[in-house]
Amino acid sequence: MNPIRKQRLYALIAILLGSLLATWLVVSALSENMNLFYSPTEMKEANINQDVLIRAGGMVKPGSIIKSKESLNVSFIVTDYQNELVINYQGILPDLFAENAGVVVRGNLGSDGNFNAIEVLAKHDENYMPPEVAKLIDNKK
Amino acid sequence: MIPELGHIILITHLILCLIGGTMPLLAEYTGLKIFQIPIKKLSVFLFLLISISFLSLVYSFLVDDFSVAYVAQNSNINLPDYYKFAATWGAHEGSLVLWILAMNAWIVGFLFFTHAKDRDFLASVFSISCQVMFAFSLFTLFTSNPFERILPIPPLNGADLNPSLQDFAFTVHPPLLYFGYSGLLIPFAIAVSAMLFSKETKEWAAYSRPWTLFSCSFLTLGIGLGSWWAYYELGWGGWWFWDPVENAAFVPWLLSVALFHSLITSQNRGIFGKWSILLSIFAFATSLLGTFLVRSGILTSVHAFALDPERGLFILGILAFFIIGSLMIYSIKDFEHGEDKAYALTSKEFGFLLNNLLLVVLAVSILFGTIFPLIYEAVTNGKQISVGAPYFEIILFPFAIGLGLLQGVALYLSWEKSTSFDFVSRLLIESTSIFALIVLVLFVLFDNLYLNSFATIFLASWIAVGTLQVSKKRNLGYWDFLRKRLSVTLAHLGMAILVLGVGVVSSYSLEKEIILAPDDSIKFGDQVVKFESIEDSLGPNYFSKKAVISFDDGKDVSNLITEKRTYSPSGQLTTEAGIETEIFKDLYISMGDNLEDDIWSFKIQIKPFIRWIWLGALLISLGSFLAGIKQIRRLA
Repeated sequence: MNPIRKQRLYALIAILLGSLLATWLVVSALSENMNLFYSPTEMKEANINQDVLIRAGGMVKPGSIIKSKESLNVSFIVTDYQNELVINYQGILPDLFAENAGVVVRGNLGSDGNFNAIEVLAKHDENYMPPEVAKLIDNKK
Repeated sequence: MIPELGHIILITHLILCLIGGTMPLLAEYTGLKIFQIPIKKLSVFLFLLISISFLSLVYSFLVDDFSVAYVAQNSNINLPDYYKFAATWGAHEGSLVLWILAMNAWIVGFLFFTHAKDRDFLASVFSISCQVMFAFSLFTLFTSNPFERILPIPPLNGADLNPSLQDFAFTVHPPLLYFGYSGLLIPFAIAVSAMLFSKETKEWAAYSRPWTLFSCSFLTLGIGLGSWWAYYELGWGGWWFWDPVENAAFVPWLLSVALFHSLITSQNRGIFGKWSILLSIFAFATSLLGTFLVRSGILTSVHAFALDPERGLFILGILAFFIIGSLMIYSIKDFEHGEDKAYALTSKEFGFLLNNLLLVVLAVSILFGTIFPLIYEAVTNGKQISVGAPYFEIILFPFAIGLGLLQGVALYLSWEKSTSFDFVSRLLIESTSIFALIVLVLFVLFDNLYLNSFATIFLASWIAVGTLQVSKKRNLGYWDFLRKRLSVTLAHLGMAILVLGVGVVSSYSLEKEIILAPDDSIKFGDQVVKFESIEDSLGPNYFSKKAVISFDDGKDVSNLITEKRTYSPSGQLTTEAGIETEIFKDLYISMGDNLEDDIWSFKIQIKPFIRWIWLGALLISLGSFLAGIKQIRRLA
């Protein structure tokens, strides 16, 4: 084989291997780390596997925030103005978490129908609405 | 008056950009002298115009002209002057003006520092850059005019600058990032002109290289500062979140690194011509795509920007026009694309090929994960998902290993074919020794060993040894070293330091959320953490609760101050973390919620080697900047 063809072949093999590896990685990593978003209403209707990490969100219902005085446990209710969902969380809430503000949480649905959050999403700006929540509110209007 | 002046000047800039964007190309294709314009003078004049426009916006901020809507939304009488100044680029509209200013600065720089005999080629680069600036000016004027007035009754006071942006690092981070992004305009314009004029690969690669390096340097610094700012300002102690906006900067960074490595090959060997052109186009495309993702607000991000689909569509239009246009030239025009030269698997060329392959495939995978939620939503008719950080970590790891291993041996390789491989054994022995030494030091410092950090620590030693040995082997005098090897040594060593920092901080960090009343203490690692006191305090535009917490490791006691600020008038809360920096670790505390009376929750963290991440980024940035200067001097 002439040297230029040979080196093209090497380059081609490298590119093929590289893209194959990448495709495999992307597909496997994506299938494990894709978190579906559910509104409180969808949460009621859908049949959700409790082992799968999902996201939920809506507006924080006024008066629903219950903070423990001895521990970092906190619970609150998010609403999409049709249904409600109780969220349990252990940890420090972000500064912009407030009543009547949009919030997105990540975690699992518990067997009692409540949501156990491992992360409450923080935002830079109090006017900012997570796109998912903004869409929920638009739909209800 | 002044805002109107800025507005009119911005319109003038737009019109002149249109002239600059068309005349030189007309002159070239019609051969008519009347279309020829003095491009250097015009570029400087354009720069003056956009500077005045920008300054008039700055002025409106400084004098609290709240009749200007943009000022009213992003400033306030009580805002300290320095932040009034920085608030100019605190949101979308002002950012765009700064962006155009940055592009214009690069163009002036390019025209004055590129000594090409071929004047028509320079004119074409200028022309294409002007077209891009025209598109951006049009975008600014039509969708995001910063000079719009609130009339007839302007507000008495502004809504204030977002409090978490009232900070030094923030004020420098966006401009650096904009300069980095917009710098990729130059390689793009050069690539398109190279196709139009069928330039020889070696020649245009030489023109393009310094500007790609500068752009990469600014991007590195901008991203690094952003990461540092997020670390201390957001109060979570994280330094990278795989947020869409971070990815939108990371992807062009990866491509700019790939591009200047590919350009080295193109310049020296005259090969990879087509590849370098495609890379130039896509590096610029991803920097525009980044803008689109950030500005349209279609992805959930911690970065809050005004959400406006119309703006998103406009940017998408600009992106489509320039990318489809340049790709059409690429596919239709029969341009010079270098020669085929043979090189062996052990050659420097093949090393660069692998480097580019890894960087580009990594960039594509990260981009894919970033926009996948959009694809998914479109395909499933509105179902929403997010892609978690683990996705990006799983993807990054094998590529980082591959790139690191390659980086360690890359500098030893020769063009065409490497003949001597004695370096392998020395590299192995020395890097293993360094690796063992680092592990030992870590054990002494932190009393612990984490197996999962071994791979990254070894990689860091491998890169560092590979970089230093090559410089040593060349046996250069002090002066020659500074001249010939300093930039590459700095940049590659910077990468080693960054990798080490990432490896150590991700396995050796400790964190805990605790509840303390004044005078309570708790054991944390080798520290005893005590809540000393709490007091109220008043800032220029906020009031705060200030807590003093002491960390006692048996030898030294450090007092850290953390604050919970409430800003007026917005009422927004922010947390100011208390951080004590040592060479090998940071002590970090941030205030959480008030449970009752003076009882508060806190998040405490120990972050070993975290500073090394930003030190590494700083060195990479410095190295690429010096490399750019070296290239320019070589051309002169």
